[in-house]
Order: sequence, then C-alpha cells, then structure tokens
Amino acid sequence: MLKAENLISKQRYYIIIGIVIFLMLILLSRFFYLQIFRYEKYKHKAEINRIRAVTVNAPRGLILDRNGNILVDNYPTYILTAIPGEMEQKEKIFNSISQCTGIDSLIIAENFKKYYRAKFVPTRLMKDLTFHQISVLEENILDLPGVNYKQFPERYYPSSINGSHFLGYLKEVDKPVQGNLGNPNVYELGDLIGWSGLEKFYESQLKGTRGVKYLEVDALGREMEEVKGYNNQRPEPGADIKLMIDSDLQLLMEEKMKDYRGIAVLSNPVTGGILAYVSKPDYPPNIFTGKMLKDDWNEVRNDPHRPLMDRIITGLYPPGSTFKIITALALLEENLLDPSKEVECTGSYQFGDRTFHCWNETGHGSVNLQVGIAQSCNIYFYHIVQKLSLSQWVDNCFDFGFGQETGIDLPYEKTGVIPTEKYMNRKYGKWGWSRGNLLNLALGQGDVLVTPIQMVQFINQIATHGNAGRLHFVQEDKEEKGIRPQFSDNTWNKIEKYLLSTVSDNQGTGRSADPKIKGLIIGGKTGTAENPHGDPHAWFIGFGKKDNQMLTTVILIENGGHGGEIAAPIARSAYSRYFLPIKQSQMALKTP
Amino acid sequence: MFAVSGNRFSKSPFTIIIASMVLTSIGLISLLSISVHQSSDILRSSFFKQLVFLGPSLIGLLTMIFIPKYLIHKYIFTMYFIVLGVLFLPYFSRTIAGTYRWIDLGPVGFQPSEFAKLIIVFSLAKYLSDHNLEMKNFLSFFFPTIMVIIPAVVILKQPDLGTALILLTPLLPMLYWAGARSYHIFLFLAPLLSVLTAFHALSFSIWGVLMIVIIFLERPKLIFGLVIYFSNLFLGLLAPVLWNSLKDYQQNRILALINPELDPLGAAYQIIQSQTAIGSGGVFGKGWGAGTQTHLKFLPVQESDFILSVIGEELGFVFILVIILVFTWMILKMVKLGYSSKDRFSGLVLIGIASLFMAHVFVNIAMTVGMIPVKGLPLPFISSGGSFLMSCFMMVGIVMNVGVDSTE
Repeated sequence: MLKAENLISKQRYYIIIGIVIFLMLILLSRFFYLQIFRYEKYKHKAEINRIRAVTVNAPRGLILDRNGNILVDNYPTYILTAIPGEMEQKEKIFNSISQCTGIDSLIIAENFKKYYRAKFVPTRLMKDLTFHQISVLEENILDLPGVNYKQFPERYYPSSINGSHFLGYLKEVDKPVQGNLGNPNVYELGDLIGWSGLEKFYESQLKGTRGVKYLEVDALGREMEEVKGYNNQRPEPGADIKLMIDSDLQLLMEEKMKDYRGIAVLSNPVTGGILAYVSKPDYPPNIFTGKMLKDDWNEVRNDPHRPLMDRIITGLYPPGSTFKIITALALLEENLLDPSKEVECTGSYQFGDRTFHCWNETGHGSVNLQVGIAQSCNIYFYHIVQKLSLSQWVDNCFDFGFGQETGIDLPYEKTGVIPTEKYMNRKYGKWGWSRGNLLNLALGQGDVLVTPIQMVQFINQIATHGNAGRLHFVQEDKEEKGIRPQFSDNTWNKIEKYLLSTVSDNQGTGRSADPKIKGLIIGGKTGTAENPHGDPHAWFIGFGKKDNQMLTTVILIENGGHGGEIAAPIARSAYSRYFLPIKQSQMALKTP
Repeated sequence: MFAVSGNRFSKSPFTIIIASMVLTSIGLISLLSISVHQSSDILRSSFFKQLVFLGPSLIGLLTMIFIPKYLIHKYIFTMYFIVLGVLFLPYFSRTIAGTYRWIDLGPVGFQPSEFAKLIIVFSLAKYLSDHNLEMKNFLSFFFPTIMVIIPAVVILKQPDLGTALILLTPLLPMLYWAGARSYHIFLFLAPLLSVLTAFHALSFSIWGVLMIVIIFLERPKLIFGLVIYFSNLFLGLLAPVLWNSLKDYQQNRILALINPELDPLGAAYQIIQSQTAIGSGGVFGKGWGAGTQTHLKFLPVQESDFILSVIGEELGFVFILVIILVFTWMILKMVKLGYSSKDRFSGLVLIGIASLFMAHVFVNIAMTVGMIPVKGLPLPFISSGGSFLMSCFMMVGIVMNVGVDSTE
C-alpha cells in the first residue's frame, strides 16, 4: 500500500516553496520594522512603561506646647490603593481584600467609588491598615493585580491633654472639598486638610509639600525600586508650630472642668499668650483619626451638649455682672462718679413702672463703688448707670473689643452683640426701648452677648492697664499689641483696687478665688448671668500678679449658678499651680 | 519495508536534528534568563522543566525514528479513533486555567491535542495515498475534511482556538500535494474569505469582484457559477450572526487586533507590551537578562507564547533573524524531502509536518508582533511546554524516519 508513487509537479513544489519564503519574509520584515525602523519609539515606550511617578505624602508639622512637649504628632499608617484600570474583576479583588483584612468588601467598594478619579490614578480603598493586615495582603498580592499600599502619616495625640477645640481636627479631602479649594492640584483626594482649630488656621505652615518618587514598577503595578537619574523630590515635612499652651495648666483645667459645661481660659495678659484653653464638653481629638466609627461620630455630633462646639470663640453668653466693670470705668474716666458716695441697697429698686432686684434680696445696706463691685451690688449700679448714656456705654464696650473679633489665631470666631442705639431701634422700634434697657445692659443682661474669648481680652486689658498683647496660641517672634483702650492711670488704678477687694474682701464675691499665696495679689469679678436656658451662668474673670508674673483666668460654668461659688474656686486652682512650684501647688490644692 | 538496511539512516536528514537543537538551545538561553532573574528556586523554574522535558522529547524523537513506516501506515486509522477518544478524556479531568486541554497524569499534565496533530497528518497521508483519488473532483475533498474537522471541533470546544486552527492547516497543502485542482481549493476557501471580508465593506466588494473573475475564468455551468457566487455572498451577510456566537475572549482578541489602542489593558495589552519589548530590543538587544519588559513582567506568558518577545528584547534582531532563517531552512528542507521522496505516503507526511511547523511558526510569530490576534500558540522548540516540545521532536523524528536525503 505504500507503493503509490509520489507524483508531484515541479510547479507545485515551487509554489509551496514560494509560499513558505513569502510568509517568512513577511514575518522578518515586521521584525525589521519594529526593531530597526521604530527602535527609538519603542525604546522610549519601554522606558516610561517601567517608571511610575508616585506621590509621597509629607508629614504635617507637629504641634508643641510651650515647653516643647508634643501635643500633636504623626504616626505612619498604611493605606491601600488600587489602579482601577489594572483590576480586571473588581468584585473578586474586593472580596479577596476583605478576606485578608477582615474589612467588609462593601466598605471597600464604597471607598473605591468615593476616591475614584481616573482609570490609571491609584484610588484609595482603605486606610489605617495595621502592619499585620498589610503582611497578609502582601502574601496574596499576586492575586490582587493593581492593588498596592503605601505609608500615610496620620495624626496622633501623645499628650494626656485633650485640647480638642484649639488643636482642631483634619478632614479627608473628598470631591466637594476639593471642588471648593480653588486649586485642585494642591490636595489629592484622600489627603488630609486642617478643618478646624489651629490645624485649619495654620494649614499652610503645617501642611508641608508632597514629594514625588519615580519608581520602577512591574506590570502588576508593584513598586520595585527607585529609579536613579530622575528628579525624585523628597516630601518636605510641614513646619512645626510651638504654642503658648502650658500642658500642665491645660490638664489641670480640663480636670477641673470635667463635670461642667463651660469654659476655662488662662492667659498671660502681657504677651496675650493662651496658657490653657478648655471648652467643655469636649471630645478626644483622636476620634477624627483612624477608623472612626460612624457610631462614635454620631454620638459626638448628636450630643445635645454639643461637644464639637468651641464655646470660647463661638459661644455667645450674657456677660452678667462682670460688665459692671465697664460701667464703673466709663463713669470714673468721665468723672461722673464719686467712688465714695454711698447708695442704700434694700434689695430692690423702683425704676419707672418696673421693679429691679438685687441678687442679695435682703439688701447690701450702704454701698459705695468699692463695695458695689466687691459685693456686686445690683442696686448700686442701677443708680450710677443712669448718669451714662447708651452711646457712652457702647463706646466703652467697643474700646475693650466687644462686638468685634479678638483676632485670636483660630478660625470661625464670632463677634457677639453690643446693642447700639441703631441696633435697639431696629430691634424694638424707635420708641420701643428706654433707659430701662440700659439698666439691664449695665448688669450685662439683656441684649448684650459676648464670647468668652472677648472676656479674656477684657480682663487682660484691665490687668495690664490697657497694654495687653493680642491673644494668640502660637509663639511669635514679636508680640503684637492688641486694641488699646485709653483710660487715665487713676482710673486703671482705682478699678484694679476695687477688683482686688472682690477677692480679698471678706464679703467679696470672688473670695474663693484666692489661694492665699504670699506676694500674690488677685483681682477679679464674678458674674451670674441670667439666661433663658435655666439656671444662671456662673462667671469669674480675674487676674493674679506676683513679682513680674501675671496670669488671667476666665471661667464660665453654664447654668452653674453663682460665679463666686462655682467659678472662682476653679480660678484659684489655676493660680496655685501657676504661682507655686508644682509640689507646693499640689498641696495647696488639697487644702480646702 | 521492515527489512531496513543498516545504512538506511545514513541517508536520514541529520541536519534537521541539528537545526532543532539550535532552536531548543536558544529557547533554553531565554528561559534561563527568565528563571535566573525571576525565580528563587531554579529547580521549579521553567528553564529546569524544559531541560527535564528534553529527556522524554529525545525518547519521542528516537521512537519516531525507529518505528517502522509500514506499522504507522497499517494502524494509523486505529490510532486515529483512539486519539479521538483520548481527546474527550480531558472533559473528565479537572480544569486547568479554565480549560479542558490537560489530562492529569500525577505530577505531569499532558495535552492529547498535541499528538492529535501527528495522527491527523498520518491519517490524511494514508487516505490520500491509498485511494488513488481522482483529485479533479471537488467531492474528493469530503472525507479528508471530515477527518480533520471532527478532532478540530473537539479541541475547539476545550476551548483551544489556536490548536484547533493548527489542526486544519495540513489539510489544504496535503490536498494540493495530492493533486487537488487550484479551483477546488478556491471553492474550499471561498466561504472562509467571504466571512472574513464581510466585516469590511471595501474588502467584501473586492472579494465579490474577485470571485466573479475566478468563476468566470473557470467557466463552470452558469447555474453552478451563480449558486457558488450567491451562497458565498449570503454567507458573508450571515457572518455578523456567527460573530455573535463567539465567546467574549475570542471576540476581544480579534477586536484588539483591529485596534490595539482601544483597550490597552485588555487583550491588546499583551500585543502592545510584546511589540514594545521587541521594538525596544533593537539590533543587538538589551543584553541577556537585561530586558525590562520581560523582567518587570510587562510581558505576558513570556515563557511560552511570547518567548520570542523575550528574545527580541534581550538578544535583538540578530537572533530573531537566526531563528527565522533556521525555521525557514527546516521547513524548506522538509518540503524538499517530500518532493524527492519515493512514495506518496512519505511525501504527504513530510508536507503535512512542514505545514504544521509553518502554521505554528507563522501564527506564533505573527501574534507576537501584533499581526494577528493573540492565539495562545507556542513557538516550536523555543517555547516552554513539555507536551509541545515532545511533539515537536516527535515530528522531527518522523521527518528523519520517512525522509531520505538525496543530496545529488
């Protein structure tokens, strides 16, 4: 059967030979084209193929207290990213990641949607991965094409103080935020931006500059090594900022205020530096970092006591009797008042068809200016304020910076309300209000509303006789002077003397603010501000002077009752700590 | 026939073995580059596996050299049905990479479709040499075609489009070799071309005109001419329907060829990366082990289907030229042996094997440089892959067996 002859024409043989050679020549010419004609193009292409520019986040600047203790630090976390164009089956990959890390794949998918920018831009899937989670992922990275991770500096609060309201918090830059920033290149989606407090105010200093790293990457997007000869830019860390805050005093005040709603601010009136800044209730600053649970966030946000609110710069309160100082100063300066002239306080006062009451219902008896201030007699002030016009009173308020921002280095400061004639006319109509309203205003009630930070500025001016420094947190090379209320030395001295007697006098409302330290003099004024929300707010504003040192305190306890009873003792603890060496001060605090 | 004289092999074309060893060596050099730079364990690398598989491959080579030709001739149809049965076996085995190509033999996977190629060639050769066919008749195409189509369809279903197409390639050259008329081959190919051109209006028009010319020159009966012409046109119009019956990945591969930039990370990704690798190699290459496309894994399936891209990148045009020349020489040598062989069976076997090699070389290389869709077809001797290396050497063995070098 193998006998069949091989009959093949020469023509067919050559045709087959021809076809083989033709096909081979086609192939060869293609190689010739690719490797010789287009060599340069593909060489370049291979070059950029393996190099990827990776941004390196710059760590934010640290925030330190006056002694160099770190209040806000950075710690490295890992974020997981993916290049959308390199993930072939997203769902499958998300599920694998979920298995490796134990995080719900729905959250991953949600994040992917949230951070997605473009097909080949790494998109964040998760943040704050632990080293362990990263290790498990690394083992399975071959099954996760396009998935990568990088270090990401996150805020961390090593100090035991909260300081949540002045430190502020960061927010992730999402699409709406990025849209509002103007220049979209400064922040990438997922970057952190200062969103409140000092973090926001000093954002430009703290932020630092992103770096760029050119990495050789493989086809799975895994970064192999840095490429030499490229313009690698190291990230520039943000500048540190050093505060005037004294962690010790801050901690003390947070401790003293922990059961109250209210504020406590300690400051150095000469420099204007804030030493302690407590607004209660507050929140632990780290709830905004890491894997913040929705529950935590909702709890904080829905808390009826509004812990997120910085009461010191955005809370509006009636100043209460502390404002008697303004009335007294105005009258003294204009020589409209004889400080020694006495007024009889019976506990109530008839003005027109209205009856005004003193807080002391049995009456203070004979009251001069010193007693009027020291014992905060309302009746005395109802009498003397009548010598003052509304506009004189308003001018004095403005001189001390009320009704305006103090210019402290925090965002979102409010101005409060100083009711001018115009304001009153607008609100009540031209004939709708009378001098009776001024009687209220003289006692810091009625339409006047102040922020606690304005009170800090106020007491600082009184303590320094009008030479207080502008309020600030961050240490400055040159202390700036703030507003300049102009009063004669005589007026300043007198008012200081009366304020000292508020604390030193046996009957003085502020007597419980005195820690009785040798050489330390303390002056102040209490306030008990009636308000529509329940019990009156308790105020104490005061200053302590010893040798060349000065400390002012502003304490406000919401619905706390009498300022002298509840606010003044908190001030006392601040004075002891500040003016005594630490050991002694702890002993002093223990004695009732 | 059995009583082969001792000097029978003195006339065997030993140069074919040398050529195949040269190609295998170049393949090993590239596999070593991949293995050294990417694998921590050389014993588990593709280089080492390939080296190990050289053993069975040489056994296959020797077996095919010494197996008596008449035995093949006698039992080939039996073998045909056995292999057809074996082709179904992988469906009962576990899937590897989502396909049914492999039979699981403990540690070694085994692809029966590789050996189906040899069986097809032998079967066709036997059929075409035994039946002193009147190849002037178009109907004499029928049996050979059926013989090829059945295993091809089984393999296509595995699914392995590349091998299925390869299986078809010996058919036409062998028919041509056996004396089939060119016009009949045209009739045979016409439906295929009708379908392919159907997607491009201008091509389809040109093809339509060309058909008229060829049919006119052949002068068949008017009714036959019209039937042939219009059934082809109809088939072309049906093509879009057929297109939709293709699997997604097959469609993607074809689409990516038409416009590789369309989806740079889909099917076209491989082509773009392969072209980049080859083009950036230049004349002399980037040097052994220095291919960035290769070692940063931009190049897909680099040990097997895209091994030539690795060579193009690292060793450059020079080595590509050597490889193509060696392949060309080998194939031409087989054709020449076929032409000069004394019996028709041997001649057909040689031309069949030459077609198989040609198809593998052309499809793989054309795919590598982006001229045709990615088929998933390895390059003989050079790509890593046990079954394939073995079947290549077995084909060389057959050439040695049936070929008689007549260097007169």
